[in-house]
Amino acid sequence: MVVEDTPRVGEVVESGSTAFVAQSYRLYGAPPLGVLVRTGGPCPAYAVVHDVATRGIDPSRRPLPRGKSEAAEQDVYDNNPQLEHLLRTEFRSVIVGHVDDGETRYRLPPSPPPIYAFVYACPAAEVAAFTSSADSLRLLAGSGVAAAEEVVSAFLRHAMAAHGDPTAYLAGAGRQLAVLFPRDFRTVESILLRAAQ
Amino acid sequence: MALDLHKIAGQIANMASGLGERRAEREAHLSLALDTLSSAEADAIEMKRLQSRTTFLVARLRGSLAGTHPCPALPNDYAALAVDGSHIDVDRHLAAQCYLINLGTVRIRYGEQPAAHLGSEPRLYTNDEDMHLRDPASGRTQALEGSLLGALRAVEELRALAALAEQADDDTPTLALIDGSLILWGLGGQAYPDFVRNALIDDMFLPALDRLREMARSRRLALAAYVSLPRSTDVVNALRLDGRRCPYAAANCDLHCGALATGRRPCDSIAGVTDRDLFERRLGAGERSDVFATTSSIVESSYAEHSVHFFYLNAGAEIARVEIPAWVADSPELLSLAHAGIVDQCGKGHGYPVAISEAHEQAVVTAGDREQFRAIVEAALGANRLPVYTSLKDRSKRVKWL
Repeated sequence: MVVEDTPRVGEVVESGSTAFVAQSYRLYGAPPLGVLVRTGGPCPAYAVVHDVATRGIDPSRRPLPRGKSEAAEQDVYDNNPQLEHLLRTEFRSVIVGHVDDGETRYRLPPSPPPIYAFVYACPAAEVAAFTSSADSLRLLAGSGVAAAEEVVSAFLRHAMAAHGDPTAYLAGAGRQLAVLFPRDFRTVESILLRAAQ
Repeated sequence: MALDLHKIAGQIANMASGLGERRAEREAHLSLALDTLSSAEADAIEMKRLQSRTTFLVARLRGSLAGTHPCPALPNDYAALAVDGSHIDVDRHLAAQCYLINLGTVRIRYGEQPAAHLGSEPRLYTNDEDMHLRDPASGRTQALEGSLLGALRAVEELRALAALAEQADDDTPTLALIDGSLILWGLGGQAYPDFVRNALIDDMFLPALDRLREMARSRRLALAAYVSLPRSTDVVNALRLDGRRCPYAAANCDLHCGALATGRRPCDSIAGVTDRDLFERRLGAGERSDVFATTSSIVESSYAEHSVHFFYLNAGAEIARVEIPAWVADSPELLSLAHAGIVDQCGKGHGYPVAISEAHEQAVVTAGDREQFRAIVEAALGANRLPVYTSLKDRSKRVKWL
């Protein structure tokens, strides 16, 4: 279920079949870890943010400390307004589904989102609709991203907040995880405990 | 084959040894120059300068020369503008004759509403009128390449700075900066015919200065050029005219000392000292020297009311030379803005004005960019079925073979 008029948070700057990198419009304006995002493009992809990074736009220019004589960290930015243009925040997202002819599919899209495709942070109604399927965790759980347990539990926390009955949602998610990690009870338990915190 | 560093290492060692031996002599010269500075009479030197014919460039003194001025207060709200440029010169090995000028522009506003704009504007010049300056009277032409293209770039930088200042048309005190000198040294002397100077200075450079001065009449706008690591000796050369260094009532270098070997003239007792050496010992952090005026022939003959003045500034990490037009030098308010603004910019930029530094980053054309530019030009020619040829010399440099 695609919710229209959702605020855009960035654009795809690097794209592949299983994941993409987007640059946030605002410095430090990336969606938080585990948030469900959706891209534009001919095959809109659903993806989960699994890595957020801020660095200099020019890789040959390393930031130097600037705040020795400043009272607060924000003063560094206020007194050096050019920094907003010289730093960038990127977020990496692993693709967990796509939209095909208006229907949500829990498999990889036939083609990756194009470069410059808009990226939207999905509102609660869209998150609730996406996570209502028993397949919604399959691609994320099998993605092999770094700190996967942290990412999955963060995703579950966001999803719980979108559901009217978070406890029931978490119980259903636990059943999905038990299927996805059949011999790894400790992993399932660890993810669920962190999601519930 | 690469440079044989083994063969050059011995020569480098000899050079270092020679520099070490001359250090004591230079220190003695510097000490004497400092003594001369602290007790020199500026008016007497200036009077003598006007009567002298020297073989070196002497600063015009404006009443005093040993003063030091602490950094004034800077308005809480101010804007720094800067333009810097780089270019790709005409390459006769390239199939198409053209050059590119890339101007980096920066506008940073500080204070209550901090904001910044960074941009670059590359422009490709390919037309015949772009490639040559033409004398309308005689029809003579001068190719725009090499050092003349460098001068054109400096002119374009100032024009872009004037445009940038016009865009930011508000009451915020504004410091407009360019990197390097305001003096178009390359156009001085007999290097180029008059129509070249007319085209670049009279028709382009001065109108940009006029626009900046016009804006400065209705708002606080100070133009300044920042020269890092200056090697100029205008002030030291003024000290050469001091009665203790030059025994003649009116100096005439060729007449009085033309027959003497280098180093044997009376005023050579302070030879080898730069203005930077001098003011490094005199200026505390944030302090500036007195304001002097250049007597460069290109400025005196062509700059009209924009004659270039300068002061030395302890910018924190280095002694810089700051060049300003007469209308900034003569306005205590604009002079203070230039002084305090540059000190602040250097503080924010780790020793170098941050606005200029960012303009440079916007403008820089890397070796990789040059290669890509070349490839795009050749691809565009090929796409239009134009012949893509290159010199055999260039091809042999690009293709390594045995």
